[in-house]
Amino acid sequence: MSPLDCEGAPGCLHSRQRNHRVQGVPFINDILRYDSLSIVGLEKNTGKTECLKYVLDRLPVNSRRIAVTSIGIDGETVDQVTRTQKPEIVLREGTYFATSEAHYRQRRLVSELIDVSDESTSLGRVVTAQARTGGKILLSGPSSASGLRRWMGEMRQRFNIDLVVIDGALSRMSSASPAVSQSMILATGAAYSANLNTLVSKTAHVVDLINLDLTGERNLEMLTPLEKGLWFIDKDGALTSLDTMTSLSRDIHFEGMDNCETLYVAGALVDGFLEKVRKNRQLKQVELVVRDFTKIFVTPQQFRLFIKAGGRVRVLQKSKLIAVTVNPTSPSGYVLDSDTLCGRLSEAIGLPVYDLLKNNQQCN
Amino acid sequence: MRFMLDQLELQSGFARRWLLDSSMMTSDADITRCYDALHRFFDFVEKVDKTRLDTLLFKLQGLKDIRTTIKNLHNHATLDDIELFEVKHLAILATDVARLLHEHEMDRVVEIPALDEVISILDPDGMKIATFYIYDSYCAQLKELRVRMRQHPEQQDDLMLAAGELEEGVRKDLSQQLHPFATAVEQAQIALACIDVNLAKAMQMRQMGLCFPVLSPDETSRYEAMFHPQVKAALADHGKAFQPVDISFGQHPTLITGANMGGKTVVLKTLTLCQLLFQFGFGIPAASAQIAVKDEIHFCIGDEQSVEKGLSSFAAEMKNIDAVIKASREDKKLLALIDEPARTTNPTEGAALVTALLQVLAGRDMSLVMTTHYDIEPGEARCLRVKGFENGEMDYQLVEVHDGEVPHEALNIAQSLGIDTEWIETARSLIDAATENRNSNH
Repeated sequence: MSPLDCEGAPGCLHSRQRNHRVQGVPFINDILRYDSLSIVGLEKNTGKTECLKYVLDRLPVNSRRIAVTSIGIDGETVDQVTRTQKPEIVLREGTYFATSEAHYRQRRLVSELIDVSDESTSLGRVVTAQARTGGKILLSGPSSASGLRRWMGEMRQRFNIDLVVIDGALSRMSSASPAVSQSMILATGAAYSANLNTLVSKTAHVVDLINLDLTGERNLEMLTPLEKGLWFIDKDGALTSLDTMTSLSRDIHFEGMDNCETLYVAGALVDGFLEKVRKNRQLKQVELVVRDFTKIFVTPQQFRLFIKAGGRVRVLQKSKLIAVTVNPTSPSGYVLDSDTLCGRLSEAIGLPVYDLLKNNQQCN
Repeated sequence: MRFMLDQLELQSGFARRWLLDSSMMTSDADITRCYDALHRFFDFVEKVDKTRLDTLLFKLQGLKDIRTTIKNLHNHATLDDIELFEVKHLAILATDVARLLHEHEMDRVVEIPALDEVISILDPDGMKIATFYIYDSYCAQLKELRVRMRQHPEQQDDLMLAAGELEEGVRKDLSQQLHPFATAVEQAQIALACIDVNLAKAMQMRQMGLCFPVLSPDETSRYEAMFHPQVKAALADHGKAFQPVDISFGQHPTLITGANMGGKTVVLKTLTLCQLLFQFGFGIPAASAQIAVKDEIHFCIGDEQSVEKGLSSFAAEMKNIDAVIKASREDKKLLALIDEPARTTNPTEGAALVTALLQVLAGRDMSLVMTTHYDIEPGEARCLRVKGFENGEMDYQLVEVHDGEVPHEALNIAQSLGIDTEWIETARSLIDAATENRNSNH
């Protein structure tokens, strides 16, 4: 029985979530609806690798072509930053994977090479292979978002890969950007904050950003091609560029914008700018648009204030947040109560939250 | 030249490296052979249907630089899985490309050595796909170990160790079998790069409207409607057209004079570019071109016009031209293109230096094209002048004139640029006064 089938079992939240009742293996079936999944941890030791392992163990590698890669060096047996134990990546026969030349030579499985790319990492070129037996491997694929995108494109085009699973880098959201992957799983836990309230509110903030709604059709069409600068669309649908290139600039003026309906920030969205928009009377009704959630660099406080004041933030691209997983144990040894954590977090974000380690122990 | 290389749509990084590593051709035979091949590829690109061409180009994208692997193969080293994969990948790619070209009777143009045996060594199951691992069929014992591995995952580590040794034996064996083919693999890699380069050149010729040059029967180079691709592209971006230029030059010095902004420097740059393109076997930016092969090309441009560097830019320029004079004493076919020599010094000495340079080089067996603003005695030099400012528009064409007198249009041109009237008018009155003075003295 899969741990996620176990309705009502301790550690499983399904029994408590009236709005999010799920059947079968929800996680996995959800993932299969998309062509790419990235797993991102909010902090080291939030259980990202556990989550990857969980997903790889359950994906149907025999009926679908599934490839896995990592944007940072991963698979090392001991966490290189915090020196805590890390699970190794075990692949099942049939799984495709990308890693560096150096790590390929250290593989502990039989695999068939399908590609050696020109893309180079500090550990040599990126090689792609298919596992011919099960076994352990150190993952270290293309290290930049653009390299990753190129690799994913090739996997789909040349090898008909159905799903790419990306082990995202620590606190680097770029691999989770909708420009790279269609869906994502967020790993959080005591390592992110040992205070339950802080952990819940900080995680909820990230989830809020990921779940921002798409802007309207017209805006999508007009704004998607604009890769830099600040722009606004007035009530008549006319597009105008603001002289300033970024929202970081100190002297941004909103004069003559009383007709403004949509304000678009192509680059990063920062606190100061958000505050200026909030305090500007002309912009009371404005819809603020950013490319995707990875471009938002505002504090939870400032964001909340903006939303409370009636502000709206929309995105041009959005990835589907499939689930949030938690690791209640922090590397310093502090342990939060798993059930309380899952319950509080699930309530705050309106999504199922899983403690995979606990579920594994209890249900397997 | 950088622009032309950047605009070349090569499919593989290896082809670019191969092209950059190649040296300039200096023999008629090499150049002829190179353009004969390009001609075939040009016709091929012209008539082949788009999907077939795209298939070929897509295949060539798979060309990788595996020189290190080939070197290891030459040196009897045991190749690892990645290297064996590279060899197999290249062999299959070469065979595929050869087949595609054969269908269009293009296989004679660039010879790709047959690598069927290499493929069969690395493809024991006859799958004909470019993937690789130490297949079960290489070794019965290995196969058995792997079966046990799948049945008893808990013994995997021990079994892997035993299998590893067997695999290494297979690699050693395969490397030995492949060793005799090292040269063929190397040739195949270069042949594929050559095909990539030729296809890119042919497509560039079509895109930019370049022509096939002819070897000049004498030492004279002749260009009709020559243009500078980069300037043309920049002008096109602003909705303007580039005015092509006709020009020829032989073993006599050619002196180009003309008003400022008359395109003299562009002409020199284009001539240099054309000569290089010719000796690297590219299409030439002109309607027609007859070009003489040179052993050395010198392009001297004293372009640094800053006050602090006044002296040093002069020094650098002098050194450059000095190199031309030294080279002209050797028994080499030489082309020197010199843009406004001695421009950063006073007009008296400058004019003397230029006149002397013309006199010195006129006696040598070389081609020289030079621009200047100085009023000098052309001696034996042939003089070309930019037609210049007419009816408020610049005519960039070159006309042959029989004296070295330079046009005095600087003030008119400055005026048309909207430069301060007080300045221009004062200058004009100074010239008028000087002319009157001279006339009254006579």
